[in-house]
Amino acid sequence: MIDPHPAVWARDLAKTFRVPEREAGVLAAVKSLVHRRMKDVAAVKGVTFRLEPGEVVGFLGPNGAGKTTTLKMLAGLLHPTAGQAAVLGHVPWKRERALLSRITLVMGNRNQMQWDLPALDSFALNAAIYRLPPAEFARTRDELIDLMGVGELVTKPVRNLSLGERMKMEFIASLLHRPQVLFLDEPTIGLDVTAQRTLRQFVAEYNRRTGATVLLTSHYMADVTALCRRVIVIHHGSLLYDGDLAGLGEQFAAYKTLGVTLDGADGAVAGVDWAAFGEVVATDGAKVTIQVPRASASAVAARVLSELQVADLTIEDPPIDEVIARVFAAGAATAAAGTDGDDVATPSVVEPAATSTA
Amino acid sequence: MSIFRLAAAHWRVNALNELQYRVNLVVQLFQSLIALATGLIGLSLVFRQTDDLAGWSRPELLAVMGVHLLMGGIIQAVVQPNMQRLMGDVQNGLFDYSLVKPVDAQALSSVRELRIWQVVDVLVGAAVLAVAVVQLDARVGVGQALWFVVALVLGALSIYSFWLILTTGVFWIIRIENIVELFQGVYQAGRWPVGIYPPWLRGGLTFLVPVAFAVTVPSEAMTGRLTPQTMALAFGVAVGLMAVARGVWRLGVRRYGGASA
Amino acid sequence: MLRLYAGAARMSILDQLQYRTANYLYMIGMIAEPVIYLVVWSTVADSEGGTVGGYSAGALAAYYIVWTLVRNMNIVLTPYAWEWRIKDGQLSGELLKPIHPIHRDLGGFAGWKIVTILYWLPIAAILVWLFPPAFSTDTFSVLAFVVALWGGFLVRFMLLWALGLVTFWTTRVGAIFDVFFTVELLASGRLVPLSLMPPWAQAAADWLPFQWAFQFPIETLIGRLSRAEILRGLGMQAFWTLVGVGILTLVWPMAVKRYSAVGG
Repeated sequence: MIDPHPAVWARDLAKTFRVPEREAGVLAAVKSLVHRRMKDVAAVKGVTFRLEPGEVVGFLGPNGAGKTTTLKMLAGLLHPTAGQAAVLGHVPWKRERALLSRITLVMGNRNQMQWDLPALDSFALNAAIYRLPPAEFARTRDELIDLMGVGELVTKPVRNLSLGERMKMEFIASLLHRPQVLFLDEPTIGLDVTAQRTLRQFVAEYNRRTGATVLLTSHYMADVTALCRRVIVIHHGSLLYDGDLAGLGEQFAAYKTLGVTLDGADGAVAGVDWAAFGEVVATDGAKVTIQVPRASASAVAARVLSELQVADLTIEDPPIDEVIARVFAAGAATAAAGTDGDDVATPSVVEPAATSTA
Repeated sequence: MSIFRLAAAHWRVNALNELQYRVNLVVQLFQSLIALATGLIGLSLVFRQTDDLAGWSRPELLAVMGVHLLMGGIIQAVVQPNMQRLMGDVQNGLFDYSLVKPVDAQALSSVRELRIWQVVDVLVGAAVLAVAVVQLDARVGVGQALWFVVALVLGALSIYSFWLILTTGVFWIIRIENIVELFQGVYQAGRWPVGIYPPWLRGGLTFLVPVAFAVTVPSEAMTGRLTPQTMALAFGVAVGLMAVARGVWRLGVRRYGGASA
Repeated sequence: MLRLYAGAARMSILDQLQYRTANYLYMIGMIAEPVIYLVVWSTVADSEGGTVGGYSAGALAAYYIVWTLVRNMNIVLTPYAWEWRIKDGQLSGELLKPIHPIHRDLGGFAGWKIVTILYWLPIAAILVWLFPPAFSTDTFSVLAFVVALWGGFLVRFMLLWALGLVTFWTTRVGAIFDVFFTVELLASGRLVPLSLMPPWAQAAADWLPFQWAFQFPIETLIGRLSRAEILRGLGMQAFWTLVGVGILTLVWPMAVKRYSAVGG
């Protein structure tokens, strides 16, 4: 049964863009002046999910999967072509004041701070825009500045700050009105590792203190694994997975890794034909790590136990970022073929699958 | 009204910041004086040859020049920088942030910027106007001054609406970035009363680009030429343009959000 | 050398053709200025019995229509460009080449001017229809005009290129350029034909190069000059171009020296 009060829900949400079709060449350009051929591009093809209050959910998918489009619909920036959604009980694209003053949107690489002014001035402007009572504003501002640890930076003109510092200011400015729902679109893109970690801790702490709901897209798996217990994976505009981060491996990892430690002398490892069991990934003294297809994992484990002198045996899913990278890589290959279009322009920071899975 | 609070908050911050750069005041003063000198020379060249230009005497034309400078200062201080920022925001995707704020996005987009040193132009224009009024021999009463202010406000609103229509409509539909130069070129026509232009051009300067209402009509108010009909027309055009601007804005935002009408 | 000019010209022609919409809007925006002058002075001429300073309304129309072409021909490298050429480090690259950078600029702008003339023709046609002009032109003045038009371009190109070098010595160039452009506006015939100016101003303008880049080509075409005056004007264009070359020969090595001393 659907809870009457989830923080965010979407039902069959879909968005199709009409884009002009243009071929290269002068003749085509002239022709398009007279008669523009339009083409429909389905960016989101009907997604359904819900976020409970206080959840931090990772929204994953390769470039062009429809993440940003979905996020923009939930933030009220885009009108859906079909389907319904609600954020805190409001239809987002009606852009009611009551909703807008309780949500926030942070996009990496897009800075809304006043360039020539110190961040403090930008904070004051947001206080005016959100009509925050002065005392409450000052309290929240100081709390957030303290939490982010940027006390000495807020009086410098924003143009003099580093990219990471600017993003920290951006977060403070975006949370001054204590929003209950946060839409974060690649908030750490292009930042160095330290800044990423600070921002992550900041979001986690904000969530802990205020119980706000967070929907986060990121290409950095560290963001997702540190913040989100639950992930939603979208691919080609359709929902691929919605559930525990840990469960993602169950669904997408084609392999499991077996860690086998043999009894006896070091030479024992060399005497075994490991290829008969699976692909060797690593050898470390008496311990050998092999990769085996998911379906036959338990059979292989049984064979290992019966045929070899085993001191210790572990069966594990591959690391979660490898799994997700695999999902992304598969998606990216199809996205490059050119079907979807919302965030194709964002530079890909997806690493190719780290280990060979072939 | 919330728009005044918004404007006050943004302008205070902008002004305080720009006040740190006093050099810009000198630069602006210098440019204003050069513009003033050029204008005065142009005027004196005309009056070397004739005593009146299409029924406007020398002090009356001086008043027109004053209003032109003053209104130009207002446009450059408030209207143009805000519209240019809006264009930039739409291009960079920063306009998204304006839309997720719990205030009217048009109001917000119209009051964020203030170039405080452009006020020099406003002051120079006011000074020229004052000199012209003195030369006009006390023909200016309180009533005229009042109508002048009303006409000036209506003119500024018309120009603002025109700029907004241009920015939203033209920019979002066909993306023209040189409209600033285009506008400034046309605005120069306001240096002279629009009555001197041939009818087709006068029509354009009245209804297409509302330079007539921004400069000529306030000048008419100051020089006692304003008829109630003209004032009513100025009011009608200002209200009409604001309504059209609002409509085009709504359309533009809908288009931006992909909710085809 | 010729190959360099042809190459630079070709590149800028292609460039200009690509941005034709923007270019056209720019040219249309520029029409506002002469139309305003034309209307004001036609009004004056009407109220003064048909002519002012020897110009009838038709002659004024001819003056300001040709004005639009000459003005476009007069747009050359802005002296402000040096600021970012120096900041950008683009200049360092230019200095490495075995040829003086002025040649590439000159070739590029000359190519652009060919496109400008083509673009101007329809604009001129519309202006002629709106403001009927009166020309009293003969074959000689048309031919002389072709030379004078490019001569004017060359004079202004040299002047502004030399002016831009001020940037090497000071960072506050805005004020200097502002004054320069204001004097030019008054003394070139851009604001009004010089014959509408007081005699002392005309005398002062005679000592300056500006009118040879601007008013002289215009008056050559509309037929207000005698053959002797035209030949003298072409001579003055040559003279001021040579002055520009002289200044550059003198100043450019100093500028380069200063640039390499300060570092780019």
